[in-house]
This record gives sequence, C-alpha cells and structure tokens, in this order.
Amino acid sequence: MQTGMPTITGLLLDPVGCLAEFPPGPFHEIAVRFFGRKGKASQSGSRSYWHLLNLMEAAETPLDGERRNAVEALEAEAVAGASVYEDVLPVLAELTTMGIRLAISSSLSRAAAMRFVERCSLGEFFSGVWTRDDAGGVKLAPLLRALGGASLTPEKTMFLTDTVEGIRVARSAGVHAVLMMNDPDEARRLAMHNPAGGVVSLHEIPDFLRLIAAQNQRRLRIGEYPAQVEAIGAVKPEGDLLKPSGRP
Amino acid sequence: MKKVSIYRPSTVDEAIQILSQHGTSASVYAGGTDLLIRLKNRLEQAPSFLVDIKKIDHLRYIKEDAQGGVEIGAATKLAELADSRLLQEKYPMLVEAINKISSPELRNASTLGGDLLQEVWCQYLRGGYSCWRNGGYICYGAIGDNSYYHSAMGGRLCYAVYPGDAATALIPFDARAKLATPQGVKELSIEQLVPGDMLVDGRIQSHVVRFNEILTSVVIPPPKPGLRASFEKLRPRGVWDFAMASLAIGLQLRDKTIDDARVVFGGIAGKPLRETAVETFLKGKTLSAELGEQAISVALANAAPLKYNATKIDMAKGLLASGLARLNA
Repeated sequence: MQTGMPTITGLLLDPVGCLAEFPPGPFHEIAVRFFGRKGKASQSGSRSYWHLLNLMEAAETPLDGERRNAVEALEAEAVAGASVYEDVLPVLAELTTMGIRLAISSSLSRAAAMRFVERCSLGEFFSGVWTRDDAGGVKLAPLLRALGGASLTPEKTMFLTDTVEGIRVARSAGVHAVLMMNDPDEARRLAMHNPAGGVVSLHEIPDFLRLIAAQNQRRLRIGEYPAQVEAIGAVKPEGDLLKPSGRP
Repeated sequence: MKKVSIYRPSTVDEAIQILSQHGTSASVYAGGTDLLIRLKNRLEQAPSFLVDIKKIDHLRYIKEDAQGGVEIGAATKLAELADSRLLQEKYPMLVEAINKISSPELRNASTLGGDLLQEVWCQYLRGGYSCWRNGGYICYGAIGDNSYYHSAMGGRLCYAVYPGDAATALIPFDARAKLATPQGVKELSIEQLVPGDMLVDGRIQSHVVRFNEILTSVVIPPPKPGLRASFEKLRPRGVWDFAMASLAIGLQLRDKTIDDARVVFGGIAGKPLRETAVETFLKGKTLSAELGEQAISVALANAAPLKYNATKIDMAKGLLASGLARLNA
C-alpha cells in the first residue's frame, strides 16, 4: 500500500460505483446483445459495467447508428435505476468549498452521463463531464481526456473506483486510485491490487484530503477542536536542550 | 526494535522544549507498555526520539485536593491507583475498573497517562500494515477481521476502537485532565481529551494532545452525594485482554429516584461513548428491576456494526442491563 502522497487538488469520478449503485441488468444486456457475452450477470452494477467496457475496448468495430441508439437506451435505463449514495451532495459541496476540482470521467455515453448529472442535480459541482463519446474510447481514454480538459495534474489527482480494472486504468493514467470499499469482501480482494488508498464511504474523502494536506504542509486542521490550530514547529525551543543518549 | 534516542529531562518545561524541537518524530515515554511494543514491532508511526518523563518530579502522586476531590499525577502507575485507599474510599468504581485493566504485571508498569493516551490495538496497525495510523491510506479493519478491535458505532477513516478503560471509568465522575503546553496549562474534560478519530499534527489519533504537550494530571471532583457507580467489562479472558465491550455507569440517587446519570460505553467505538439517550431516559426514573430492559430499548440506536462485530452491540446492551441490576441490588 502506498505511503505518502502529494496534496490532492483534483478528483475524477465515474458515476458508476462512485456516486451511485447502478443496476447490473442493463449493462449485462448490452454485453450479451451487442458484444456476445455469455454467462450470468454479476450482482454488482460496477462489475457488469467494467466487464462491458472490456468487451467494448476489445471490439473491432465501433457501435453504428442503430446499435448505438439501442446501447444508449439501455444505459438510460441503468441511469434511471441508479440509487445515488446519500452522502454525495454534501460531500461534493464540501469538496468544492475546500477548492478541490471535480470532474466526471466516465465510459458511459455522453447522453447517459449528462442524464445522470441532471437527474441528481450535480451539474454545479463539476468543472466538466468527459465520456467515451468525448474521448473516442473507453476506460483510459475518458480519464486522460478529463485530466487534460479539467487541467488536472495526474499526480495530484484521485480517481475513485470499486473494481480492479479501475485501479489499473487509474495507475496507467498516473492518478491515485482510491478504492470505494462498498463491499468488504470484494474490497479485501481489491486491496491486494495495491490501490493508493481506500474509503468505506464517500463522506471520508474530505478528511482523507485534509490528512494528506496536513501531512504535506505540516499544518493542523482539527475538525472538532479548532482552538490550537497551529503549524508544527511554530513553537521555538528556548535554551539548551539535553543531549540524547543515542542516535536513531 | 526500531532504534531510538532517549532524552531524560528533569522538568516538564525541558520535556516540552525537546518535544517541540523534534515535532511528531518524538514521543513521551513513561510506562512504555504501549510505546515499546510499537517500537519493537517497528511500526512506521513509532517515534525516533523518546522523551523519558519518569525522572520528572511531581508527575507521580495521588492526593486529595482542598475541595475534597483527588488529583492524580499522569505518571502514577495503575497498580498504585488500584492500591490507593483514598481512591477506594472516594471512587470505588474507578478502582474496580483499574483492576480490570490488563494483568497485574502490566499494571505495575503502566501509567494513568499512558492508559488514557494509548494507541489503538487494531491487529492490522500492530502487525505493521500501512493503515491510516501507520503511514498509509486505508483501514484494513473495515474490510478484514473486525470482530474485536473495531468500532460497531461507525468511524472516520480509522475504524479501530478506543481501547482504554480508565477514560471510560473517569467520565461518570466528570474528571478533567491537565496538560502542560508551551502556552501554559490547558484543562480539558476527559471527553474532550479523547474524542476519537482526530486529525492532530497530521496524524490520526484518538486524543487531542499535540506533539509538544504533556498530560500532567487528572483531577476528579469530590464525589456527588448519593452517587452510585458500577463498571462492567466483557473480554475473552479474565485477565490481560481489552474490552470487547465495557460500561461505566454513575447514578446520582435520591432514595431510589435517579436525579442524574452518566452512561459511558467502552470498547465499541472510537472513543469512550457517552450514551446521552440512556442518560436522559434514566433521569427521573425509579431504580428498579425492570429499568434495565427499558433502558436497553433506547440504547445505541445509532449502532453501525461492521461485518463481524454486531455482537459488540448486544454485549454492550447486556452490560447496561447488568450494570443497572447491580446498582439496584
């Protein structure tokens, strides 16, 4: 597991798995109907989504007009059935107040991503929405497009994910993959893939970023105890100190 | 063992100067029953400089103050607290709690200050995992075995429970802690001292004591008239182990009527958890055999157990019933 991280200034989010629980059915149906997937649907919307992205990435021909419309209709169905995590709005508001630049980076179609943002009234928080349509590809492509579009420095940016593919994609883009530990058993497995960090819930992200900033700036920010907010080293020792009895 | 340098200051002011010079890479060393284990296990977060305060005068005492309360020096050994006739006479529940901390051997070494400010005993931290408290950015307890050392009441990044028993037992007496700081003496209630899940000097810790501050004493006000108190603790074995759940309860009684109540759970949250819903429920009630069952129904409504520790909540509720039954006996 990574130790030490630069102060984070940007956060990239994919609605699937980070902001809402999506139903697996529509993604699985797209995979079966248009990409020849066999077998049962995963119980997890995120896993079905990333399975689908793997198939899309491997496909030799891009989706044509009619197939594309059908795929977008199923994605719209997924968006309609998504349950937004209850802490999304307050957390995004807090992160915005903290000056963190937020952007959507998703392999959904632009229509589906925009529909999600509008449905949840999240537009005000994001500096942009970058999708597979904007990037001309899935997985890594929208991530790189969002980094450029939102003028984010990769080493100062986090990408939240709850899949191993998400961790790998973030790592290839040079951003810090942070695990959303929605399911403890799955998270335990994913933790073996060396993400930069992990949070149990989105509401921990502001504290996560404050901790990194405090470690880097050597400053304090004590949530419920503001009386002694000072920089480390502000108190200068006076007089001669005793000599230590050994050296570390 | 991690290599360290040891300072041996003779005054609190000298100790503060040394701590100020080294920032978070230094730590106060007294009993060592927590600190030395972290050093032995070579934890990333373990300090490189130890400031040994054992030779400092006026940190190891138990004395009655002018108001009839008791002041205890932070470097006083737990065994000395357990043997104190003054404490036994005024605060028998505190002595009962101290006697349930760890083993006799460790109580001979451990100090009151160390018990209050000890690091969590999460097996992942102590095993050297790069968790939030050890240089990393993840809580392994939240996704691993969380049956013993982790919170059943939610968390904030780190899900380890606050492990100390002394704080849990001191809160019903409205005890306060005195800290020596570069700016002078600071006084806090025990609840303010260990609020759990704090970000202090760029570190996650259970207490609010900064890198250049030293806990010097604990002051317990005189016992209130009619106060009856009880301490309960469940642990895997009768000695040594930390609480899976504990309860300190203090009732101020007028005959059998409860005028005021303090109900504090230990071992189930990131801090000693004062359960104000139960306290409010108990006020004005008559202490009776049925009260325990009724109190359980309002207790720990905000429980948020992890995958393997829901049983902690059942244990805590059971302790509430048995604690009230003991006080009614």
